Amino acid sequence: MLEVDVEVDRRDFTVRAGFQVAPGERLALFGPSGAGKTTILEALAGLVPAARGSVVLAGRVLTRTAAPHRAVPPWRRRVGLLRQDPGLFPHLSVRQNLAYAPGTDPYGEDAAEIAGQLGIGGLLDDRPHRLSGGQAHRVALGRLLLAQCDALLLDEPYAGLDSGLRRVLTDLVRSLVAARQVPAVLVAHELPEAQAFADRLAVLDRGQILQVGPPGPVVLQPATRRVAELVGYAGFVPLAAPDDAVAGVHPERVALGAHPSRGIVLNVPVLACRPSGAGWEADIEARGELLSCRLADRPAAGGGELSITLLDPPCFGPDGGLLPRPEQVSA
Amino acid sequence: MSWAASPAAAASGAARGGDSPGQRPPARPGRAASQPLGIRSRSGFAALAGTAVIWIALLGPVITLITHLSGRAIVTSLTAPGALDPLVISIESGAVTLAVLVLLGTPLAWMLARGTLPFPRVWEAGVLSSLLLPPLVVGLLLIFMVGPYTPIGQGLGALHLSATNTFLALVIAQVYESAPYYVLGAQASFGSVDPRLEQQAELLGDRPRRVFRRVTLPLAAPGLAMALAVAWARAMGAFGAVIIIAYHPYGLPLQIWTSLQETGLASALPFALVLLVVALPLPLAAYIWSARARGRRRG
Repeated sequence: MLEVDVEVDRRDFTVRAGFQVAPGERLALFGPSGAGKTTILEALAGLVPAARGSVVLAGRVLTRTAAPHRAVPPWRRRVGLLRQDPGLFPHLSVRQNLAYAPGTDPYGEDAAEIAGQLGIGGLLDDRPHRLSGGQAHRVALGRLLLAQCDALLLDEPYAGLDSGLRRVLTDLVRSLVAARQVPAVLVAHELPEAQAFADRLAVLDRGQILQVGPPGPVVLQPATRRVAELVGYAGFVPLAAPDDAVAGVHPERVALGAHPSRGIVLNVPVLACRPSGAGWEADIEARGELLSCRLADRPAAGGGELSITLLDPPCFGPDGGLLPRPEQVSA
Repeated sequence: MSWAASPAAAASGAARGGDSPGQRPPARPGRAASQPLGIRSRSGFAALAGTAVIWIALLGPVITLITHLSGRAIVTSLTAPGALDPLVISIESGAVTLAVLVLLGTPLAWMLARGTLPFPRVWEAGVLSSLLLPPLVVGLLLIFMVGPYTPIGQGLGALHLSATNTFLALVIAQVYESAPYYVLGAQASFGSVDPRLEQQAELLGDRPRRVFRRVTLPLAAPGLAMALAVAWARAMGAFGAVIIIAYHPYGLPLQIWTSLQETGLASALPFALVLLVVALPLPLAAYIWSARARGRRRG
């Protein structure tokens, strides 16, 4: 179990993190660039000092600012960190990289087994500069596994790779986290990546965790308007009742046609329309708000009014808080 | 290396990077294999010609030395009684100088590179000062600093040591003339080690001292070797400060000087050759070794 309750002072704001990750569980910290996600990971790894609070991993106190004060140095934390740069040591062979952690036998059974599992058994005598990006990440992962880490921290490790490779590596990490029963924390600034990895999502903005929960509910029922903005709601349409309430419009949760049973129906003028992926992206005007939405079919030409349904949209009161499910809400 | 920055090299580098999307191509020394000289235009030709002129001009003295040496002159001046003593003195004092630089300069360079010292600019200025001061001036000032009538000189005297016209004085003068080359070079090579690699090594369980030994030092080694080699060459050739504070015992540069003064050019030249032969192998070996070490890491 990884129990985190820390504050880290940064120049611009204070980053606060409070969460628990069970063994084998995967938490994603999702938020915009500069929200403090990496700072949290670095505080867990002991690379930046915590201003207040504590970090406890598998019963060991790693950080505690209250008495008795404790700050375990990085080399005794047994916390593995993967970054976008795999960080292989360029002067060592792949085998020496894998077995870098003290007390690891480069020619031992463990090393051979993990190399086989990761599909890098044939590269052991190569130098890191000869590896492809995916291979280098596999070696970096194997190195952490051989170091017997008690927790796995992932700082957007696969952000630079193409999507197929990213999925393969993410699945690999998922299965290893399950097999080893270690807590894992992923930092992501793209929602699909966070969803693909995590069983829990924490939405972070300016150093604050705004909402924690399973990815589905966090995206479909964001706790506040700010969370809704962060998870991709591009616009907010005023509702007729209650007063001052708005419905969040997610570009991907709009259906063509009137389906009153499935959400809020709007009749909107189409300002522009262009192909986007396998569907269409339409710019619409809804009650004075300019929005764009994704549609499976091309809206009828002519620039006239269009009936669309906002599928089960989250609605927010004037204070930005989520309103109850909109059975009573009407457009 | 002169054509490393040519458009051809840049273009081929970009093409290499293009075939692996999302992955930074490893930084390679630019070698435009398809267009060996990169001559595409008149300006390219002018650049090449300029490079050649400078290269020949820089190597000119070495070529001149070789063409002006006669075998008989070498033999007579080097077989004179005591002729090789300056060589021994130079090598011994150079070795002591290097040891001092490595022991005292390496920690300073490391701290300068990591920015762990307060007021880093002040420290850097201190290192630079002995590079910027003319060696003759350094020698003069050293007399006022460690001469026999100064507090330091009297302290040394109490230990039956002296920092003028002794082996110690020679080492001190050589340290002043070579230290900035080593410290600044070592600082640059430590600075080129990615601190994230050191962090990664710590997270894998290495204490800082082990990280230094297993990661920092091996990665900085090619640059350190080059810095040390340059410092060696400077120490071997140290003259300005040496002639003032350590006229005796003669090292090679002073031997050249006195031979020149007493018997003329012809007898000084063989010592110049000896000086080159002693001073150059280490820098050359260091250069070749560090180039190969870098090549192994970058492919």
